[in-house]
Amino acid sequence: MSASPLLLALLGDARLPSGGHTQSAGLEPALRAGIAPAEVPAYLRSRLRTVTMVEAGTAVVALAVAANDGDLTEVEAAWAARTPSPALRANGRRLGRGYLRVLQRLWPGPVDAHARTWSRPVVLGLLAHRAGMDPADVARLVGYDDAQTVAAALLKLEPQDPLTIAAWVSELLPNVEKMAGKVAPLRLPEQIPAPGAPLIERWAETHDTITERLFSA
Amino acid sequence: MPENTTAPARAMRLGVAGPVGTGKSSLIATLCRALSGELRLGVITNDIYTDEDARFLRSAGVLDPERIRPVETGACPHTAIRDDVTANLLAAEDLEADFGPLDLVIIESGGDNLTATFSPALVDAQVFVLDVAGGGDVVRKGGPGIARADLLVINKTDLGVHVGVDVERMTREGRSVRQGAPVVALSRHDEASVRTLTGWVRDTLAHYRTGEHTPVDPGPMAPHFHTGQDSEEPHLHTHAHDQDPAHAGHSA
Ligand SMILES: Nc1nc2c(ncn2[C@@H]2O[C@H](COP(=O)(O)OP(=O)(O)OP(=O)(O)O)[C@@H](O)[C@H]2O)c(=O)[nH]1
Ligand SMILES: [Mg+2]
Repeated sequence: MSASPLLLALLGDARLPSGGHTQSAGLEPALRAGIAPAEVPAYLRSRLRTVTMVEAGTAVVALAVAANDGDLTEVEAAWAARTPSPALRANGRRLGRGYLRVLQRLWPGPVDAHARTWSRPVVLGLLAHRAGMDPADVARLVGYDDAQTVAAALLKLEPQDPLTIAAWVSELLPNVEKMAGKVAPLRLPEQIPAPGAPLIERWAETHDTITERLFSA
Repeated sequence: MPENTTAPARAMRLGVAGPVGTGKSSLIATLCRALSGELRLGVITNDIYTDEDARFLRSAGVLDPERIRPVETGACPHTAIRDDVTANLLAAEDLEADFGPLDLVIIESGGDNLTATFSPALVDAQVFVLDVAGGGDVVRKGGPGIARADLLVINKTDLGVHVGVDVERMTREGRSVRQGAPVVALSRHDEASVRTLTGWVRDTLAHYRTGEHTPVDPGPMAPHFHTGQDSEEPHLHTHAHDQDPAHAGHSA
């Protein structure tokens, strides 16, 4: 039942048409709030320990729940409870619809009528179940995608040697592995970790109200 | 023969592309003003830095502001209308879910260069907008939008006399580059030209509804003739053109 490692490459590729190019993983508002480009590696690690771990944990649990034919709306509620910013919840659900399009085309099959309202990690969990991915792989995917989203957005917002930024992502990979290892065994919505990142949440809220921005979130 | 002769279940999606400032938003405002009495409309804008276009259209008072939605493109206006149309498709879906059914959803691309055109995965038909102020030569430079969009608009004809452009000649050259495909010489101050434009939109919508309209990709590159060859067939080239006005004259 284990999927090819290439599936991870397919899903982690920025060229996957799921709307990823509209995202900065909070970097645009973070830079606007004054973090320096040199602090981006620390920003990446902070995300990995907080919002990204919530996403990855949610995706892993959604995979387990989908595999047992359970109720994914409960997983969605658990994710929402851990995502206090309405702007981030709205954005996560928009992204979920993008991944739902991927799911329905690449792994067609019946989906719950509520699926259109689910956030990205919940849809990713369902997708991972359909595609036969391991829990650790779906967690890796969430961690890696988040880092690459920040990296790609940084190149648009504060361009510098792209290889420096690629190196930052590469150096982060062991941290991604560690995070994935931590959340991979989770099975139940209440097990999803609930760390907070109040600044990231607040910046997301501010970003949602301004009229000059390149990225949705 | 058209393959799909069943009535489409959703609104027709009309793309409006063209270089910066040629009058895309104004053209959309003109369409809304002329058509909102007879058609149920929605508008999506793809601004690059801001929601300026959406705000302009909302403030024009030509359509319920809620029916005008901006989409962020992450500094990738091409991607959003071609390689990954997800954000625009979702916005179109939302408009139809919130106000549906709609007859027409108009999507404005982020003002870009001559190479940006919509994927048929996003729009059913597209208009490419040039203006006379950009110079009479632009049409001859061709490009996918100019040559093969469903409609080429040569806008701001009222400015022709001020910028020394022979509008009739520019229009004629447009028709010849397009091998007879439609060209509208437009000015918002010229009622007759506005009627020609709205007439084209109505006809295209009618064809869309009967399933006789097939979305076509204008293509990333333009086919063109090799001068000196007397072949009747356009010669398809796949190399990139060197006519992008954003770069022309600035290199070297
Ligand atoms: N004289 C004249 N000016 C026009 C006409 N249509 C538009 N304009 C002007 O052209 C300028 C640009 O128009 P917009 O509609 O904002 O152009 P756009 O293509 O949407 O611009 P971007 O979205 O920035 O690429 C504005 O100052 C308009 O008032 C016209 O028919 N005649
Ligand atoms: Mg505009």
